[in-house]
Amino acid sequence: MKAHISSWSYRALVFGTMLFVVTPLITVIWVSFFSNKLISLPPQGYSFTWYLNAWRLDDFRGGFLLSLKVAVVATFIGLVIAVPASLALVRGRFPGKSFISTLLLSPMMIPGVVAGSAVYIYYIQFELLTNVQLAATFPGLVAAHVVLTIPWVVRLVTASLVGANESIEEAALNLGAHPWRVFWRITLPSVRPGLIAGGLFSFIMSFTDLEKSIFLIGPGSTTLPIAIINYLEWNLDPTVAAVAAVQIFLIGFMLIISDPYIKLSRAF
Amino acid sequence: MAAGLLSPSILAIVLLLAFPLILLGRYSLNPFVPGEFATEGVTLENFTRFFSDPYYRDVLFRTIGISIVSTICCLLLGIAPAYYIARVRSARLKSILIICVVLPLLMGNAVRVAGWMVLLGDRGVINAFLTFTGLTSAPVELLYTGKAVLIGIISVNLPFMIITLQSVIENIARPLEEAALGLGASPLRAFYRVVLPLMMPGVIAGTVLCFILAMNSYATPLLIGGPKFQMMAPAVYEQITRASNWPFGAALAFVLMFTTLVLTVLSAWLLGRYDPQSGGKRT
Repeated sequence: MKAHISSWSYRALVFGTMLFVVTPLITVIWVSFFSNKLISLPPQGYSFTWYLNAWRLDDFRGGFLLSLKVAVVATFIGLVIAVPASLALVRGRFPGKSFISTLLLSPMMIPGVVAGSAVYIYYIQFELLTNVQLAATFPGLVAAHVVLTIPWVVRLVTASLVGANESIEEAALNLGAHPWRVFWRITLPSVRPGLIAGGLFSFIMSFTDLEKSIFLIGPGSTTLPIAIINYLEWNLDPTVAAVAAVQIFLIGFMLIISDPYIKLSRAF
Repeated sequence: MAAGLLSPSILAIVLLLAFPLILLGRYSLNPFVPGEFATEGVTLENFTRFFSDPYYRDVLFRTIGISIVSTICCLLLGIAPAYYIARVRSARLKSILIICVVLPLLMGNAVRVAGWMVLLGDRGVINAFLTFTGLTSAPVELLYTGKAVLIGIISVNLPFMIITLQSVIENIARPLEEAALGLGASPLRAFYRVVLPLMMPGVIAGTVLCFILAMNSYATPLLIGGPKFQMMAPAVYEQITRASNWPFGAALAFVLMFTTLVLTVLSAWLLGRYDPQSGGKRT
């Protein structure tokens, strides 16, 4: 009997805590479909009006498109430069390997606000010296986001490279395949889960970044998370809930389609 | 060959992270002259101003206090779900629960704060419910309090704790617990004497992670705390961009980073010394 009660309270604790974690997201999705202009209970009805309304607001539409562009470009560059680095870290033999690996993972440890303010001051200083503007420009924002993506690609791709079998590559080389062909036909396919996970996490980290980007955006061109924060400072209505819900759907969809390829719980 | 493969990534991090941080450190030692970006000099006045101004001292202590309390709450709340997810037999339920933990974790701070604003705001769901049921006639102010910020930070950081603990528990061999249970230990005792000591590395990793995230949280104190509840990260932003006082902003950033580092090392050391096996401190 006693064991029975404790097992029930254990389950209540588990599911209560889980509910606490997901409640904000579920509430946002629910409220985004209210047909009333302000949040009131019970809702007068349900509609898609606020999704259309959000799309009509320049800040949200522009923010969504900018975040998407920055995340796609930063993820692409991140993969192109960090996949070879992961390869060298796992397969290469050279001194200072653990130092370099720590260096490449270090952007994860530096708080966003600290890194953001540092890059902002650095960009302005750079502009004073060279007259090339980086702060509040698209290339400047992308460059800062590439740094966000590198550690995730390195971490997830090295993890799957460690499990890959090197002797298959050696066999292909011995049989006369060109090293590029070996890389393209054997190494890359064998780390596909790592590549998918690395690309996915890079995209998400860039798309959802707030703390670093607030220093680097220009007037009239904000990213989506910043547009949400700015709007929330003065308004609270189903429109902003719809915007947040769009981000939840986008990332949720990406997680679900990549779920078969990657082990989510192992990514952290 | 390794050098060619590694150099683009290394270059990116050195140019876009290491150099900027060094520059930020240099700026924290510059004197501040209003209207000028960089006045060269070496002075500790930014740091002495920080520690002698009761306002900023309060902001730092408040940040540390909130971070310690929220981290302890995350640890206490995180153990049960982490253990459940690691040990649940249904693979389907397990992957649903993992998605429920990972999805909020990957959502970014803006959307999660939006969630709590929608719940707690003057015109939010909880107040709408209270008005609807007639429990109150005017909205109750739930935002702009320390408690609201604490709840927000716990909910943002808790998924990190759960996922960290879960992946460690997953690697603890189940027969160890079964042996303890078979020998007559109660489930709680088996957990405390067998699982907990083995999951200490996860407890340390999760605690450190949650503490760092809490110390540096920006969106939650900004929107849920409002002007009445100041924390360090929004203060850094305020000084660098709005007040344009780069030397002082840089000093704030370094105080924040240094405090986080010291307290992180300290907490990892304390947890590493704690040994549940002997029921207390290791001698």
